[in-house]
Amino acid sequence: MDTLSYLGQGFDVALSPNNLVTALAGTTIGTIVGLLPGLGPINGVALLIPVAFALGLPPETALILLASVYLGCEYGGRISSILLNIPGEASAVMTTLDGHPLAKQGKGGIALSISAWSSFIGGLIATIGVTIFAPLLAKWAVSFGPAEYFMLMVFAIVCLAGMAGDKPIKTAVAVLIGLMLACVGIDANSGVYRFTFGSLGLADGIQFVVLVLGLFSVSEILMLLERTHQGQVAVKASGRMLFNLKEGAFVLATNLRSGVLGFIFGVLPGAGATLASAVSYMSEKRLAGDKGRFGDGDLRGLAAPETANSASACGSMIPMLTLGIPGSGTTAVMLGALTLYNITPGPLLFQHQPDIVWGLIASLFVANIILIVMNVPLIKVFTRILAVPSWTLVPAIAIITSIGVYAVHATTFDLFLMIAIGLFGYLLRKLDFPLSALLLGFILGHMMESNLRRALSISNGDLGILFSSPITIGLWVLVAAMVALPFWRRYRSKRSAALASA
Amino acid sequence: MLYQRLFAASLLLACLCLGFIAWGYQAPFSYEPVGPRAYPLMLLILLALGALVLLVKPAMESSESDEPALTRPMLIKAAICLGLLLALAALFERLGFIPTSILFALGMARLFGGRWLPSAVLALVLGVGLYFLFDRVLEVPLPLGVLSALEI
Repeated sequence: MDTLSYLGQGFDVALSPNNLVTALAGTTIGTIVGLLPGLGPINGVALLIPVAFALGLPPETALILLASVYLGCEYGGRISSILLNIPGEASAVMTTLDGHPLAKQGKGGIALSISAWSSFIGGLIATIGVTIFAPLLAKWAVSFGPAEYFMLMVFAIVCLAGMAGDKPIKTAVAVLIGLMLACVGIDANSGVYRFTFGSLGLADGIQFVVLVLGLFSVSEILMLLERTHQGQVAVKASGRMLFNLKEGAFVLATNLRSGVLGFIFGVLPGAGATLASAVSYMSEKRLAGDKGRFGDGDLRGLAAPETANSASACGSMIPMLTLGIPGSGTTAVMLGALTLYNITPGPLLFQHQPDIVWGLIASLFVANIILIVMNVPLIKVFTRILAVPSWTLVPAIAIITSIGVYAVHATTFDLFLMIAIGLFGYLLRKLDFPLSALLLGFILGHMMESNLRRALSISNGDLGILFSSPITIGLWVLVAAMVALPFWRRYRSKRSAALASA
Repeated sequence: MLYQRLFAASLLLACLCLGFIAWGYQAPFSYEPVGPRAYPLMLLILLALGALVLLVKPAMESSESDEPALTRPMLIKAAICLGLLLALAALFERLGFIPTSILFALGMARLFGGRWLPSAVLALVLGVGLYFLFDRVLEVPLPLGVLSALEI
């Protein structure tokens, strides 16, 4: 019952005129950013942090802004996937498989409205999940000590690498680089300057905004150089704009299954939307069997990844809010934004600042409703945005990025540091290292080190404390399983290859 | 493949250098069993191991890459882009926000294939518009630089 009254309180926060306008603005901006080829949720959320800070928004409003931008981006990404066959980001790849064929058959409008509806259902299922499970997990997590936290973070990192598919080592290396970057600066416990090379600008450590904008804005600008385009011609979304009841009923079971699946993947650290949409697409394809027309315009093939995608976007709020451990690049950015406000997410957040948590959860509901209401009539307007050429876009992004970085400390040192990080990020991307893993490492870095050192202070230096409670032992088992996963997968694929050639 | 190896090798080298530096980190007096040295060293060892694997067996991790290889015109473009960004950072305070960003936006728009006139209009709009949006409306102080005489 408590949950319901808190949720009511959250709706009071979310429905206050200010926050409602914020959510509306956030979803609109998010949809537009998601639409623009090359820009995904991380870029959108990262660019808006300095703006939210500059506006002097109170923390819950800022968080609502970022969350609604996140959801909006996921929504917007599908428009470019369906009409252009260009996935804005990795998690939208699956949407193009059936979405674009539908658009080419002249069912673009139906495809867009079905995917909007699927996103809505997915978001709704996941938001209900967040409402039910987040407080439970938070209650349980209050009893976690530093050793448990440290192990949890190790698990999150190993999970990220283990789930990364074909390049676990590169992912692990990227996380480790992120953890190392977090070490730069003055050590809080002993006052020793680490890796500052005598530079005053680094004494404070690398600022979060500088790192995020360098990694995701500067490197993106360099990436866009290769994909310069003069505005794209989209397949016209003609004919019927809204799906009918029969089509809605046809995909409903798919929606429900994929929503639950996506939610679970969202909660798992490191798995995220990309994996969720791929797995749900594959399992629906298998369920449909030979009768499905997956790959040349099956509505279920469109509904499955879209539902899973937005369900996992909402689901990934759970580890961020309850444990303070982000599960994806975008939630990592949001976590960093919260720490700018001196708010440490974690189980205690539910007790100390219920307004923020429940306001955010309620605004997820609100943002989902805004998105579906807004998207169906405005699709025509949004498709026009696809025609914005990159020569107008890139200078604006670059200058806003610089303002955001300059605003932190008002020094140009940060600007140079951002460019250096951006160049480094560009090289890493060229070499197929996942940047979101690096960011996750950077965010977890401080917490990981301080929890480890605190745990070892409690035990007076005895490493045994990392094996002392049932929770830590359980986490060790999970870590071991996750480390074994890529090896097992490689073994299996080798064996099946051998069988095929025999 | 060569670039992958090259990167892994430089990563390994960086780990060694940083490890060497980190070895000297010692707290003058400490209240806790773990000093400032152990954790970065642990990370560096893991990182070096990862780099070693990538150096010895890069093929294991590089399935077909989605990224197109860098060509010569691409490299030149990237270098110009970096140069523009560096110029933006260097002139940000000296020239002031408005002139710097106008020049920068003009260069960037041209680099991304805009024509002269539209690019110039865009640059003017961005430079002046963003200054007023951020400095006046959002109250993020931006340097006026050479235009500070005009300050109202």
